[in-house]
Amino acid sequence: MAATQTRELLVVGAGMGTAYLLQELARLPHDWSITVIGEEARPCYNRVLLSSLLAGELAAADLDMLPADCAARFHSGVRATALDTRARQVHCDDGVARHYDALVIATGARVALPPIDTLRAADNIHVVRTLADVDALRTLSSQRGARAVVLGGGLLGLEAAHGLNSLGFSTAVLHRNPTLMNRQLDREGGQYLQRILEGRGLGIRTGVTPAALDYSRDGRLRGLRLEDGGRIDCDLLVLATGIVPNKDLAAQPALRSERGILVDEQLRTSVQDVYALGECCQYGEHTFGLVAPVREQAAVLARALCGVRSGGFSPSDWPVQLKISGVDIFRAGRLDPGDEHIVFRAPAQGVYRRLAIADNRLVGTLLVGDGAGSSWYAQLIREGSPIDALRQGLMFGRDVATASAAAGSAGDAHTRTSAEIIERDTA
Amino acid sequence: MQRCSTTCPYCGVGCGVVAAYDSAGDDVRSVSVSGEKNHPANAGRLCVKGTALAETLSTQGRLLYPRLGGRQLHWDAALDEVAQRLRDTRREHGPQSIAFYLSGQLLTEDYYVANKLMKGFLGSANVDTNSRLCMSSAVAAYQRAFGEDVVPCNYQDLESCDLLVMVGSNAAWTHPVLYQRVVAAKQANPHKRVVVIDTRRTASCDVADLFLQVRPGTDAALFGGLLQFLTNHGALDERYIAAHTQGLADALAATAACDLDAVSAATGLAHEALQTFYTWYANTPATVTLYSQGINQSRTGSDNCNAIINCHLATGRIGKPGAGPFSITGQPNAMGGREVGGLANQLAAHRGFDAQDVDAVGRFWRATDMASAPGHKAVDLFQAVERGEIKFLWIMATNPVVSLPDATRVARALQRCDFVVVSDCSADTATAQLADLLLPAAGWGEKAGTVTNSERVISRQRKFAQPPGEARPDWWIVTQVARRLGHADAFDYDSPAAIFREHAALSGFENQGARCFDISPLAGLSDDEYEALPPQRWPLAATGAAGPPEQPFADGRFPTPDGRARFVAVHPVAPAADGRFVVNTGRLRDQWHTMTRTGTVPRLSRHRDFFAISINPEDARELGLDEESLARLGNERGTVVGVPAPDPDLPRGQVWVPIHWSGPFAAAGRVNDLIAPLTDPVSGQPQSKFALAQLTREAPACWGMLFSRRPLELAGTDYWSRLQVAGGHLALLAHSRPASRLAAQLDAVLSQPDLKPVSYQDEASGDLRRLWLRGDDIDSAFFLATQRASLPTRDWLGTLGTSPCPGSPLGLLAGCTPSAADPGATVCSCWEVGEKQIAAEIARGATSVESLGERLRCGTQCGSCLPELKQLIQAAAKERAA
Repeated sequence: MAATQTRELLVVGAGMGTAYLLQELARLPHDWSITVIGEEARPCYNRVLLSSLLAGELAAADLDMLPADCAARFHSGVRATALDTRARQVHCDDGVARHYDALVIATGARVALPPIDTLRAADNIHVVRTLADVDALRTLSSQRGARAVVLGGGLLGLEAAHGLNSLGFSTAVLHRNPTLMNRQLDREGGQYLQRILEGRGLGIRTGVTPAALDYSRDGRLRGLRLEDGGRIDCDLLVLATGIVPNKDLAAQPALRSERGILVDEQLRTSVQDVYALGECCQYGEHTFGLVAPVREQAAVLARALCGVRSGGFSPSDWPVQLKISGVDIFRAGRLDPGDEHIVFRAPAQGVYRRLAIADNRLVGTLLVGDGAGSSWYAQLIREGSPIDALRQGLMFGRDVATASAAAGSAGDAHTRTSAEIIERDTA
Repeated sequence: MQRCSTTCPYCGVGCGVVAAYDSAGDDVRSVSVSGEKNHPANAGRLCVKGTALAETLSTQGRLLYPRLGGRQLHWDAALDEVAQRLRDTRREHGPQSIAFYLSGQLLTEDYYVANKLMKGFLGSANVDTNSRLCMSSAVAAYQRAFGEDVVPCNYQDLESCDLLVMVGSNAAWTHPVLYQRVVAAKQANPHKRVVVIDTRRTASCDVADLFLQVRPGTDAALFGGLLQFLTNHGALDERYIAAHTQGLADALAATAACDLDAVSAATGLAHEALQTFYTWYANTPATVTLYSQGINQSRTGSDNCNAIINCHLATGRIGKPGAGPFSITGQPNAMGGREVGGLANQLAAHRGFDAQDVDAVGRFWRATDMASAPGHKAVDLFQAVERGEIKFLWIMATNPVVSLPDATRVARALQRCDFVVVSDCSADTATAQLADLLLPAAGWGEKAGTVTNSERVISRQRKFAQPPGEARPDWWIVTQVARRLGHADAFDYDSPAAIFREHAALSGFENQGARCFDISPLAGLSDDEYEALPPQRWPLAATGAAGPPEQPFADGRFPTPDGRARFVAVHPVAPAADGRFVVNTGRLRDQWHTMTRTGTVPRLSRHRDFFAISINPEDARELGLDEESLARLGNERGTVVGVPAPDPDLPRGQVWVPIHWSGPFAAAGRVNDLIAPLTDPVSGQPQSKFALAQLTREAPACWGMLFSRRPLELAGTDYWSRLQVAGGHLALLAHSRPASRLAAQLDAVLSQPDLKPVSYQDEASGDLRRLWLRGDDIDSAFFLATQRASLPTRDWLGTLGTSPCPGSPLGLLAGCTPSAADPGATVCSCWEVGEKQIAAEIARGATSVESLGERLRCGTQCGSCLPELKQLIQAAAKERAA
C-alpha cells in the first residue's frame, strides 16, 4: 500500500541552512517524515550570533531557530560517516544506517586553516565556529587582560574579535589584505571600519602575514612571527582565515564535487534524490558563506521537495547586511571606479556611504556606520529604475530623496506642501 | 518687571514704545518692546522693525572700548588725542580744515553740543549730517516758501484729509505705522481718496484709488501741470494768494509749457489719468500731499518740493486741518537735527548765517570763535576731504562709506584724511574700518535725550540699560573734548536735561515771534520734569490755553520779512536718459539703513533675504536673467552684482536696488557705487534715486549656501550675500569657478584642527556639501551645487545653528527634513507666518485679511504685510475663477 507509506526525508547537518529548510517546509503541504542528524549537541542555532554570545550580549537560548511546531526528528551528536546512494542509506557514527527517500546534505563548512607550517593543535588555538567553541572560549574568560590574536580580518574574524574584546581579552586582529573585510568593503570603507574598531579598543594590523608560530615547552602557543620580521606574543589564537565547504560525505565519484558539492538550480546533486544546501554546496563557480543565498536555497529546495514549482535558485548579487561589533555594514551591487560615485564621509562618527551610478541607475551601494535606506537601495539596484529625480537626496534615504525630488520637479518649491507630495507619490 | 516709556530709534514716524524688562543691578534681562498707547504718533501700534527692537539689544558687533590704530586705549587718552588733533589741525590749517559729520540717529542733545562746539568755539560751520541725504531738499523748499523750516502738517491731517496724494513715498514699507493710520482712516471714510505717484507700483498702491506710474524725475512737470490746471480751471484761492503769498506769476510763467500734452509726454501718463488726478485735486479742499525720498533724492529735489508747495499755496491749502504739503523724514531725529542747526547751512535754532543771527547766537553761547558762513554740505564735505582741505573729520553714528553717493570715492577720501574719528555703536561698519580712532557710543536704551518726529513732536528717549563695555553717550564724548579744548564753562553740562534747557532757551532767545520754532517755555524744566516730559508738539500751546496748539501758519502769516509765503518759479527738468537702465534705489520693508542694527535680527531678513536687483520680468527674459544667473549692474563708477528678482511692478528699462547692503553683508551690494555725486544746487542733497547703468547676465559655474557661527566676508567669490539666522550667519554664494575650487577656498577659511568634518560629494554632478562640528554643535556648513535650485532652502539651513547633532550626522547634509511642514517664505514677520500657511488657510476658506488674522494672527501686529495678504487672497480668487 504505497499510498499510505510515508516517505523519509533525511537531512544531514543541523545548521542554519537546515533551520531555514525546516521553516520553509513547515509552510508547505507535504507528507515527508523528516529526520535530522547533526554532529553538534544542539541543532539549528543561529551561528551568526555566536560572537554576541561570546561577548555575553545574548544567552544561548536566544540563538534558537527551530519553528515551534517542528515535526522533525532530531538526532544530535551524531555524525554521518558514509553515504550509500545505491542502498539509499546514510551510515552514522552511532552505528545506525539511516534510510532515505530523499537526502539533503547540509553539512556546512569548517574553518580553513592558514598555510603556516608550524600550525599544530594547541589548547590555546581556537576557532569560533560552534557553540562548543564559544563555550570553550568563555571558560578562558577568567584570564582578564590576556592577549588574544585573531587571525583573519573578515566578517568571522572581526566578530570573534569583538566577542573576545568584550570578554576582556586584549585583542589584536591580523589581516593579510590591506583592507579589512576586503570581500565586502572598498579600501576606504575598510579604513573607516578599522578606525571604528580601533576606537573600541581592538588592535588591528592589516597587510601582515604570519610566517611561523612559537610554542612553549608544554606545547602552548606563545606567539607569532610575521613575514615582515615582527613578533607578537599572545595567550590565545583564534583562527578566522575563511571557511571551506564540508563535503566529506561526497567522497565518491557518483556524487560530483569541486570545492563544494555541485548542485543545479533545484539544489539537486548528480545523484537522484540527493540534494545539497548551504555552505557545503557549490553552484556554478559559487560557494556560499552568507545568510541571504542560503535562505533562498532553502526556499527553492523546500519547493522542490514538495513538488511545488519555483523559479529555481540563481546566484545573484545578494546584498550583504551585517553588523560588526554594532557597526552597520551594507553592501550591494558593484563599485566600479568608472561609474559616477556619490560619497558621504563623517570620519569622527564613523559613517561612510558610497553610491555608484551608471547610466542614470543605481548600480552599487556600500554603507558603513549608518545603514539607513539599505533596503531601498537594494530595491533600486534590483529594479534598475532611473534615479535622476532622486539623485540629490539619494544618499539620505527614501523620504529625503522623494521630498527633494518633488521640490525640484515642482519648480516652485515654495507653493508645495508635504501633503501634495505624498498624494503624488501614491497616485 | 519694569517698564520704560521711550521712543523707537528707526524711522521719522517717531513711535512711542514701552520697553519692559527685568533688572538685577546693572543687568537688564528679558527685554520686550511694545507700542506706547499714549503716544500721539502710533497710539500703541508698532511695525515689525520696532517690534523686533529687543532682539537688537545684543552686544554682538558692538564697539566696546576706544581704539586707536586698532589698539584699545583709555577714554582719557582717547579724548586727549581727539582734542590734541583738533587743536593742532585747526592751528596749522585753519578752521576750514576740520569737520564733523553727524547723523539723524543722534539725539537732539548730542546734536546740540556737537553743533555748538564746531560753530561757536572752533570757528567752522563744517557740521553736516546724513539727514542731508534724506530731506535737505524738503528743508530748503520749506525755507524758500515759508522763510523757515516748518513742516506745516500733523499725522492727524493724513487721517482727516479727503484727498491724500502720496508722492515718491512707499510709506507701506518705510513708514508702516503711518500708512496703517491712513488705511484705517480710509476704511472709516469711504469718501477719502488716495492717489499714489511713483515710478514703480509699490505696496502703498494697495490703498490707492489712483496710481500714477510716472517716469523717473518728472514730478516737477506733473505738479507744474497741476498748477496750470488749477489756474485754468478756476481752482485757485485768489483771496489767499493775494493776502498771504507772492510770486505766483513767476511760478506760472515757469510752468507755462506744462499743458496736458506736455505733461503726458514727460511723465508717460495718459491724459485721462492726469485729468482725473488734477480734477480730484482741484475739487478737494482737504488735500494733503505726502512726499518723501522719491521727491527729495533728486538733482532737482528742492524744486520738486516747491512745485508741490506751490499748488498748496495756490489753493490756500495750508495751515488748515487736513491740508498741507507734508514732507516725511526717514530718520528718527532728522527733525531734531534741523532744530539745533545740525546742517552746514543752518546756524542753530532755525537761524541762518546772516550777521544778526551770528551775533545773537554768539552772544547767547558766549562763543569764542563763531562761524560766520555756511560750511560744506555732505557730498561737498567729503570731496573737500578727498582734496585734502579737510584734515580732521569726526563721524558720529553714521556710515557714509555706504550711504553717500560714489561710495568708493568716499572710502578713498577717508583713507587720505589725516585723522578720522568715528564714534558709533557698531565696531565694524565699512566706515569704522577706515577710522584712525574709534569711540564706543551708547545706543538705544542706553542713553537719554529727546528726538523730534516728522510732525514736530518732541519725545523723550529714555535709558533703561547700562551701555556695554565702556560705551558713552555722544553728548558726553563731545562735552569732554570741548572741556579739553578749554571750554569747560560753555560745556559744563552734567546731563542731557541741562543741554535741553539751553537748547530750549536758545530757541526763544531774541525770537519775538520771528521764528515758529520756539520751545523756550521748556527751558525751565527741572531735571524731574524733563525726565517725565510727555510728547510735546511745537509750536507749543500758549501757557494756560485750552486745547491743542495751533497748526503752523493757521493765521496765514509766514516767518518771512513781509509775512508772506513765496511761490518758487520751478522749471521742470527731467534727468537725461541714454538707453541704459535707469537705476532706482530704496528701502526694504524690514531693513534699516546699512543693516548694522536690523541685520542682526534673523526674522527681519525673512521678508527679503539676499541681495537682489529687481528687474521687470520682460527685461529679465530678454537678458536671460533667470534664477540660475546673476545680474551685474555697472557703470563708469562701479558695479553691483545681485540675484535677479523679477518684479512686474517695475516698468521696463528700470531696475530697483535696495540701499542696505555693503561690505559686511554682500560682495558687491553697495548701490551707492553706481550713484553719481550729483546734488541739488539749493539743498546739496544727492540724486540717490537716479543713475544709469548697464545690466548684464552672468552665469556662475556653481552656487552655494554657507552657514557659519562667525560673520564671514568671502573675498574672491563673485557673489555673496549674508544674513543672520538663529545662532549664526547664512550666505548665498555664486562663483565662476567649479564647486571643487570654491570648496577648497572655503575649507581654508572654515576648517580648524578641533573641528570634525562631515562631507558629501556627488563626483559627477559637482554637488558638494560639507560641515564642521564642534562637539555636537555645527560650527559651519556649506552646500555647493551647479544649480541654485538644487541648494537647500534658507528655511532649512536656518535651523542648522540651533539643531543639535543627531546620533548619525547623515541628516545634517540632507538639505531638507521631509517630515516637517515648510511654512514657506515669510509674509508676516511679526508672527512669523509663511506663504504656504496662508495659502493653506485660503484654501480652507479664508477670504479676507481679517479672517486670515483670526486664524493665523498674520497682519494683526504691524500690519505692513496686509498688502501682501490681500494680494494672496486676490490671486487665489483669480485662480479659482480661472
